[in-house]
Amino acid sequence: MVRRVLALTSGRIAVTILALIALLALLGPWLAPQNPLATSDNALAATSGAHWLGTDYLGRDVLSRLLDGSRISVLGSLEVALVALVVGAIPGILSVYLGRAFEWFTLRIADTLVALPFLLFAIAVIALLGNGITQAMLVTGVLVSPLFYRVSRAATLAVARSPYVEAAIVSGASIGWIVRRHVWTKVLPPIAVALAQTIGVGFVIVSSLTFLGIGVQPPEPTWGGLLASDLGYLSHRPWAPVAPALLIMVTVWACNLLADAIRDVSGEAGRALANDHKARANRREAAAGPHPAGGSR
Amino acid sequence: MSPLTHDTLTSRPAGTAETTFDAPGTADAPDASAAGPVLALHDVRITDRVTEREIVHGVTFELTPGKAVGIVGESGSGKTLTCRAALGILPPHFEITAGRIDLAGTDIATLTPRQWTDLRGATISAVFQDPASYLNPAIKVGAQIAEVIRVKQGLKRRAARRRAVELLGAVRLRDPELVYGQYPYELSGGMLQRVLIAAAIAVEPRALIADEATTALDVTVQAEILDLLAELRERTGLALVVVSHDLAVVAHLCDEVLVMRQGEVVEQGETRAVLHDPRHDYTRLLIAEHDSYGLDTFLAPKEAS
Amino acid sequence: MTTTEPQVTSARRRGVAVARTRHASARVLAVLARSVAIFVPVFLVATFVTFALRSLSGLSPARIQLGEDATPEAIARIEAQWGLDKPFLTQYWDWFSGVLHGELGSSWVNGADISTLIGLGLGVSLSVATFALVIGVVVGFVLGTVAALRRTTAIDRAITGFVTVISVMPAFVVGIVLVAVLAVGFGLFPSAGYIPAEQGVGPWLAHITLPALALSFDVIADVARQLRSSLIGAYQENYVTGAMVRGLSPRRIFFGHVLRNGLGPTLATLGQKFPALVGASVVTEWIFGLQGFGRFANDSAQAGDVPAVQGVLVVSIALVVSFNLIINLVLARVMPASQRGV
Repeated sequence: MVRRVLALTSGRIAVTILALIALLALLGPWLAPQNPLATSDNALAATSGAHWLGTDYLGRDVLSRLLDGSRISVLGSLEVALVALVVGAIPGILSVYLGRAFEWFTLRIADTLVALPFLLFAIAVIALLGNGITQAMLVTGVLVSPLFYRVSRAATLAVARSPYVEAAIVSGASIGWIVRRHVWTKVLPPIAVALAQTIGVGFVIVSSLTFLGIGVQPPEPTWGGLLASDLGYLSHRPWAPVAPALLIMVTVWACNLLADAIRDVSGEAGRALANDHKARANRREAAAGPHPAGGSR
Repeated sequence: MSPLTHDTLTSRPAGTAETTFDAPGTADAPDASAAGPVLALHDVRITDRVTEREIVHGVTFELTPGKAVGIVGESGSGKTLTCRAALGILPPHFEITAGRIDLAGTDIATLTPRQWTDLRGATISAVFQDPASYLNPAIKVGAQIAEVIRVKQGLKRRAARRRAVELLGAVRLRDPELVYGQYPYELSGGMLQRVLIAAAIAVEPRALIADEATTALDVTVQAEILDLLAELRERTGLALVVVSHDLAVVAHLCDEVLVMRQGEVVEQGETRAVLHDPRHDYTRLLIAEHDSYGLDTFLAPKEAS
Repeated sequence: MTTTEPQVTSARRRGVAVARTRHASARVLAVLARSVAIFVPVFLVATFVTFALRSLSGLSPARIQLGEDATPEAIARIEAQWGLDKPFLTQYWDWFSGVLHGELGSSWVNGADISTLIGLGLGVSLSVATFALVIGVVVGFVLGTVAALRRTTAIDRAITGFVTVISVMPAFVVGIVLVAVLAVGFGLFPSAGYIPAEQGVGPWLAHITLPALALSFDVIADVARQLRSSLIGAYQENYVTGAMVRGLSPRRIFFGHVLRNGLGPTLATLGQKFPALVGASVVTEWIFGLQGFGRFANDSAQAGDVPAVQGVLVVSIALVVSFNLIINLVLARVMPASQRGV
């Protein structure tokens, strides 16, 4: 499946961007040219050779803060997605097998979590449980977990009650073969799609929270926090928000692109898409070729 | 049923795509022939643009008012594509690459979308397999029929409603008033097919294409629907194209039959002639398979192997 | 059925009509009942969790009122005053019955009535949210419809591209961009503050336009995307072929058949989007300096004012639930076949 995703242009773009962002998160703090916390008198400076992205209201180097802040923003969203995967997928799969009471109960919980305005709820929980990045990630992960619950439950249901699995069992296929051939190919793609989406969503939430100053202590730089501090000085440095905003948007976009690419290469939709491309190519070829009628060959 | 009688038992072998087909049924219906054929296909070929393969290799037939033509073949033989081509609703990537189709004397290749809209329903209409999916699930079935009448005949809401209820009665639905206000999911398959037929004949088209219209139904319901189609044909002079994988269905209704296999018309001719004296192996196979299902009622002086 | 007497027919028709109206009201009741059956547990679980939060947080009004170096006796006295010495379930029950009567308790910080405080901010937030919904639905509808009707053309690709760009813009990014460009750059709108509609519709609109725009981007993207795909999906349904074969015009097929069925999933998306909209108000109100409901939530949470936070959550859940109830009723009206699901 990885190979098929990479065969798509959109898949390649998404994977490249995400790899770059991940690299940034891993190496960012070392790449930072100056101490991101060091203040100076040179406040709100414009872009220059010393400060590629200028300085903020305390004279701190924006590029260094941006690079240093990448770790929390990126790792945070990964954490959110993994927490959501564990908290959502396990009950989702079990809900098919553990009986009606468990099913009803987990469904209601999922309904509840979906109905909660989660930014509001996350703020409330984090503020009450103590302001820390771990709490923030845990709470956000739980709040977005219904997506995994639904997806894994639907996929498990489809597999567990599908005629073709029954047919495979009846015809004497081994369990291992059924899992490889049917369960794996049915359950994995939707979960992969959900994971990519959740990383994107998690990224937005983490940025929103850090924007509000929740989940991190003040001097520590984050992409959301950078935007928040820029807000007060827009009349002095109107271009300041561009870099962090673009970074956030590109990351979220790459996540969505990856989710779409995975969805495109798996299942019926993928085949239809391939056909569409082929037909268009053929028609163009027929129109351009020496036989404009294009009939039989 | 009023089978048209001929003495020219023309049964055409496969591969003679270039021979023009001279409608044998017109001889006995002079008033009908005066109007010319409602639908005429001449060597129609359809190509799938995805694989660049020709799917239908030349179909030719002519449908005059009151006549019934049957197309028999296994699934994938191209019979449905042929019908869709005649209705101008080929699926994406499929194109008519050769031959011509005339609808009420006009080449369909020259039709504008607006002309198509005017012709469909009023001149040619169709019913399909799986009737439930061909009705809008969110609208009451009666309203869907009334809509057609209002749009195509310009009737007022009231009058259209009355006419729709009449039509529901005409297709032998037991309680037309009640059915009028029901949603598709509240009706059975047989009832839905009747509703679909009512909608199709609402503005009195001259030809009706029944594409596997009875395939998904119970055997008894199937017989009722076939009787209904035969009755409509007799009463209103509706010309029929009956598509089925079931030779018995076609034998029941049609004067002429085309046997298709892998996009090829392997046999074509007057129904009785084809049934009595099949030329192609595939036709013989179809008939032989049916012997065990009581097709012999149509094959009284059985002479086929 | 061909020879029924006229009187019998009219009587029957009346009977059928009565049955039909009864049918319709029964359907509305069924939708209400089903929605309530889903949302009552939602409400119970959510309030219980919010309430359990206080116990988990270990926060207490004594800490806020007396400061860090209070004597244990003083703390105990104050906690008893607030009823915090009672068993957990008793506290929950007291609080819950209060909620049912519309009383959300009083603030730990200043003792003010929380219902009143929230009521003050709600007007601002609802103005902004409603305006955002209107913008989102109208623009999203137009974009989604045009993209679906011109699919695989340059127009479709342009719209899809635009929708992709705005869908990856978080509300706070949009907010900052709007402030930078339209308020600071061009001075077209006030960058912060709020004026109630009673003091003039013009200024009111001017003050809520930017926050509403910031919130609406997400709605536009979701509505446009969902509408596009469900319209395209509806166009592939057999009933469209059926309608075509019956000779209905493309325009009529679109408005009468395709749109009707494509609208269902879009409305459902809108229902799912609403909680996010309420949540995002925290961010936009922070940016635009609006003293709304989201700002109140943020301030209370940061101050550790537990009853206020609980009150905000209850109100927000009530908002989400009632919005979804409306959506479900409309859905049932648009597509009766949505019997299953909800």
